[in-house]
Amino acid sequence: MIISKLNLNKALQILNESAQVFVPAFEVIEDRAAKKSIREKKFLPYREDLEVELEGPNTVKPPKDILFPNVEKLYQYKAAGEDSYIRETLPEETPKILFGIRPCDMRSIKSMDKVFFTKNYVDSYYARRREYVTIVAIGCTETDRTCFCDSMGIDPNTAPGADVMMNRIEGEEAYLLHAQTEKGEALLKNLESLEGPSENVKAIRTDCTLKIRKIPDLDRKLAEMFEHPIWDKVTKGCIGCGTCTFVCPTCYCFDIDNENYGTEGCKYRCWDSCMFSDYTRMAGGANPRPTKKERLRNRYMHKLSYFNERYGETLCVGCGRCIANCPSHLDISEFIEKSSAVDPKAEVYTESIRAAQGKEA
Amino acid sequence: MTELTQARTEERIREEAKKALASGEVRAVVGWCATRFDDRTRPFFAETAEECDLLVWNPYCINGTAKFALDDRYPDQKLALILRGCDSRAVNRMLRDKQLKRENLYLIGVVCDGKENPICEECQHKTPLVYDVLIGEPAKEQIYPERFRKIEEFEKLSPDERYAYWAAQYDKCIHCYACRNACPACNCIECYADQYRVGWQGKAADREQNQIYGLTRAFHVGDRCIECGECERVCPMHLPIMRQTRKMLKDINELFGSYEGGLSEEETPALGGFRLDDPDEFM
Repeated sequence: MIISKLNLNKALQILNESAQVFVPAFEVIEDRAAKKSIREKKFLPYREDLEVELEGPNTVKPPKDILFPNVEKLYQYKAAGEDSYIRETLPEETPKILFGIRPCDMRSIKSMDKVFFTKNYVDSYYARRREYVTIVAIGCTETDRTCFCDSMGIDPNTAPGADVMMNRIEGEEAYLLHAQTEKGEALLKNLESLEGPSENVKAIRTDCTLKIRKIPDLDRKLAEMFEHPIWDKVTKGCIGCGTCTFVCPTCYCFDIDNENYGTEGCKYRCWDSCMFSDYTRMAGGANPRPTKKERLRNRYMHKLSYFNERYGETLCVGCGRCIANCPSHLDISEFIEKSSAVDPKAEVYTESIRAAQGKEA
Repeated sequence: MTELTQARTEERIREEAKKALASGEVRAVVGWCATRFDDRTRPFFAETAEECDLLVWNPYCINGTAKFALDDRYPDQKLALILRGCDSRAVNRMLRDKQLKRENLYLIGVVCDGKENPICEECQHKTPLVYDVLIGEPAKEQIYPERFRKIEEFEKLSPDERYAYWAAQYDKCIHCYACRNACPACNCIECYADQYRVGWQGKAADREQNQIYGLTRAFHVGDRCIECGECERVCPMHLPIMRQTRKMLKDINELFGSYEGGLSEEETPALGGFRLDDPDEFM
């Protein structure tokens, strides 16, 4: 199906009638004191006056919070004699449409599915949200300088697992959409009235700008490198904040806590970060990951090795968000190149000029 | 003597770094190295002479170096820091707060030329205020007349407008603690926000908890802010965090006279001391 860019808003309006649609758009905060406005691209509930931008750079934050919210109530309770109760608070059964997510973010959702659906456990909160979401993915038309998904085995033009795949048509202000699942077929049926002519159209194809040299079995190599001196070096510049984990589309760790008001309260879960000291701190105060070296090692290992061992795929999807947002300008793609090239048995690791510049690993 | 060129300064930094390591007293030199992007550098620990040649000096050396000294509070050997004016104030801050010992540091000061960082336009101290060796000719100190202009503009808004502004900002906050971790005044051994078992700070990244965190951090920093702007630079959600600490500095300047933090190791912070002749007019 072909939909012209001019009809995009109409399409979103139609879809928004039967479901809540989330689109990449600009949120603007006016700063009157500094006489400027701050714009941030993020997934927002569709409104007619939104400034939607499907193409261009990806959103700063991934759309993962729509399926796995930052803060999610699990159950509420009251402890007051006969009025006492415990009530599960599953997410509402409202259909949602995630419109315009990128192939890297679609792959992330598939990884999250593995975490929350497999190994004999189904997370009922995630499952409920996932069931009610229809995903329209869009192939990238341009990539950021930090995008390296194709080096991680992901094609920026296709998104397996998305309900609808959408690609910009070469030389035209229009998109080519095709359903990949039954949910997707149902969604496109709603848009039939907007369908444009489809003769000899060709979808745009894009390549990542950042190509990195990763050896195919890096996961197994890293598994043998837990004590390697490279960790001391690459983690020194880290300041130990949680930015990389919170902008990462595949970081799924959470903590559970409660909020109490008198005799009532609720249990909630919220995102946690393995970069924080309390992530592994035991009740008695001991911490098996006492410094940022152990914490960042864990993060890199989880993305590049541990997840492979458990689920058979690499957890880093190459979206580049952690590279773009790291306060210290640490770069996981550089680490992938360095660790691919390094001698796994080396006892000393010295940064070389070419490695430090990321030019040659 | 004429101003040193960028290339010459870089050369001098590498020389001084090698000298420091060769002395046997220094375990590493913290400066900046190149990344794969020409407009970015990253904090780098040079531990060998070869690695000293990776240290760079260019307009993109924007990360603070001083805070890395806190990674090892009880070192066996000295840590050398490449210092710009702001980094030297950060060192003073941590020395004054008794979080670092001067004898554990070797300070290679560099007269800064201003970096590709908006805060540098507001810099009043391009020459380091504390150092063991200085690279470059001391620059004349400048007064930045607009220091509190944005605060003055912001104060003109109504309380409701100001609240709405900050509420929108804290809705964006992702609770990553980058501002705290980059801040040289946030030098507590254990931050109140990490004391989850005590429960001062909720972990949820919602408006309420984010606001509590932002407000608490701002007040904890209080008069100790050195105006390096790291909190704002590192914020992945671009919150105007300096506006909080600057507001306090503005009030302090109005109440106690001209004040800047981190100018010397001996200074008494405006709110950290008392005078017997204080008029106490509010009592």
